[in-house]
Amino acid sequence: MAFLDNSGDIILDAVLTDTGRLRLARGDGSFRIAKFALGDDEIDYGKYDSTNLSGSPYYDLEIMKTPVFEAFTNNTSTMQSKLITFTRTNLLYLPVIMLNTLDTSTKTYTGLNTFLVTADNATSNVILDSASGTPAGVLLGDQTVDSENYIRLDQGLDTTKLSATNPIDQDLKETQYIIEMDNRFGNITSWKGVAAVSSFVDDDNIATYFLSMGATSANFIENLPRDGTDTQPTAQVILGPRGTLLKFKIQTSVDLQGSNYLFETLGSESTITPGDASIDIYTLDTTIKVTGATTGYRVDVPVRYIKKRG
Amino acid sequence: MATTYKTFLNNDITTTRTLLHEAIPITGSIVSGTYADANIKEYTADLFEGVYDYPYLSSSANHIFDITCGYSPNSPLSASALADGITTAQDRKNKINMYNEMAKVLVGHDITGSIQEFDQDGNISGGGPKIQEAYFLNFARLLTKDEFKKETFLLTLGSGTTYAAPFDVTTVISDYGAANEFRVNSPAGEYGILYSGSAAVEGTGVGLLYYQAGVAVLTASVFGLPDAVTPLGFDEDDQRVEAVLSGSSITDNANDLRHRFENLEFNNTTELNSTIYFCRVNHNEFNYSSNPTYLSSSQIVVKSQTTDAPISFITTVGLYAADNELLGVAKLSEPLKKDPNNELILRVRLDY
Repeated sequence: MAFLDNSGDIILDAVLTDTGRLRLARGDGSFRIAKFALGDDEIDYGKYDSTNLSGSPYYDLEIMKTPVFEAFTNNTSTMQSKLITFTRTNLLYLPVIMLNTLDTSTKTYTGLNTFLVTADNATSNVILDSASGTPAGVLLGDQTVDSENYIRLDQGLDTTKLSATNPIDQDLKETQYIIEMDNRFGNITSWKGVAAVSSFVDDDNIATYFLSMGATSANFIENLPRDGTDTQPTAQVILGPRGTLLKFKIQTSVDLQGSNYLFETLGSESTITPGDASIDIYTLDTTIKVTGATTGYRVDVPVRYIKKRG
Repeated sequence: MATTYKTFLNNDITTTRTLLHEAIPITGSIVSGTYADANIKEYTADLFEGVYDYPYLSSSANHIFDITCGYSPNSPLSASALADGITTAQDRKNKINMYNEMAKVLVGHDITGSIQEFDQDGNISGGGPKIQEAYFLNFARLLTKDEFKKETFLLTLGSGTTYAAPFDVTTVISDYGAANEFRVNSPAGEYGILYSGSAAVEGTGVGLLYYQAGVAVLTASVFGLPDAVTPLGFDEDDQRVEAVLSGSSITDNANDLRHRFENLEFNNTTELNSTIYFCRVNHNEFNYSSNPTYLSSSQIVVKSQTTDAPISFITTVGLYAADNELLGVAKLSEPLKKDPNNELILRVRLDY
């Protein structure tokens, strides 16, 4: 990927993404550009030097020298961070989305910093037998056995400079989340096992889910309690005013349950020791992208699908 | 309410048509011998030969044009072999077939359904001299793109009287005056008249240039038919062109034409149809970022206090469908600063 020549005028280099070309080729009217967003993937705002002794024109000097990549044509490889419109200019803090792994049922698997998702019933059973229960960080992807474990993300202002007893401003509260994941491996369900419906699956098999607060009875999104009203104050990762939490599970696909092909093609082999005995497993590492639909903040959740070998 | 997308309104989208021109120089030595003919592809059917810009077995080679020739069934050459000719029946048939194929596509049929001959001045219905013996240069779409740009075609041919010294004298052939005067009575689009002088002189045309079809038709007389002032030796035996045309294969004729190819240059034209999206960024829009580096413990790193103006930097414009699928991407060549003190209109062009 080459850098663009920035020695002359500012020139926009526009290309269609693979999805754009796919929709254009379909000719069914689905190729219609309706809106735009602005991105700043290359920018490292840490280079903003507001203490530069030469004055404010020098604060952003390093940022302005950032070379910009040519356009990616893969629709999921670009626009990772978008610019946001808040009509007011006096915001000093913006909300973030953080993985909450403080509770036993929301922890990542010990030592791996990832969630393990069992691909089939045989894998679930051997882990349950070995560990005498569902180990922390293991999601039973076949969902034939009920389990309390799920993935939880909290949203809010993660600062100690604002009190967590205060409610978050309404325009900073996220009420809709976008989840993107590889549709070949599985799908999203609520923490109670109710399957979510994807809005679309793109040409790279990436399924996109739009989950809105109160839109379904599946309870994907809940309000986070303020300090003083929280029954579990130690389970909060957001230090300041809190918005909402998103919780979900993953159900593995029929292909992962019934075939080793994707594991053998895209994954590798390993062993885990959830109890006393080691288990030989196939592994398949991926990430699930969670984005706040309103505030645009994004978190990648690491997930490892596992399946018993032999 | 915070937003990351802005919907286009009707007056934010427009369409344009732009003609893009490129200068195409073809150095004659590439055609006549730089690669010892390793860039010349001959076919056993002997209907045409291909010219490449590099030995054609290399994956780097690009096809630049084909050469063929032929004569009309009404040409004296098609009657019987000339005295000094050695043509075979199949050779003659090939040349008549090639002439007819080119004429059928480029000139079309008359009201009786018969294939019309190439007309020297393009005034087909008005009669006048016909081009009955012709050499054809069929240019690859890679070079001509949508069409030749009018009045840019300059072909320099050697017109030395002997085969051994073809470039002692040269003739420049061009579509002089075609920017303002061209013909539209061809089923293959517009065409101009090729002249060998330095200007368009009525009745002196030596060929036709079909702009959209990307074909140059050269009358064989440009190499000195018997009625030409200076007949020249066209092949290795210094036979005249009518003898070579009637007595040698199409491939041999093409090779003899390449031997006299000194230079060619023209401009091509690409018709770009574009949709322009005006991305209007108002003063109070897109001043914040969801970039992970934008925050430190939730605090905006480019602000020290609430009264500081928020700042963001734009490097990318994403064009989205209504369902938030990314359909197009435009990149800026350098970061563009956005704060509440400025407004921007980013003009994003999508070409088709």
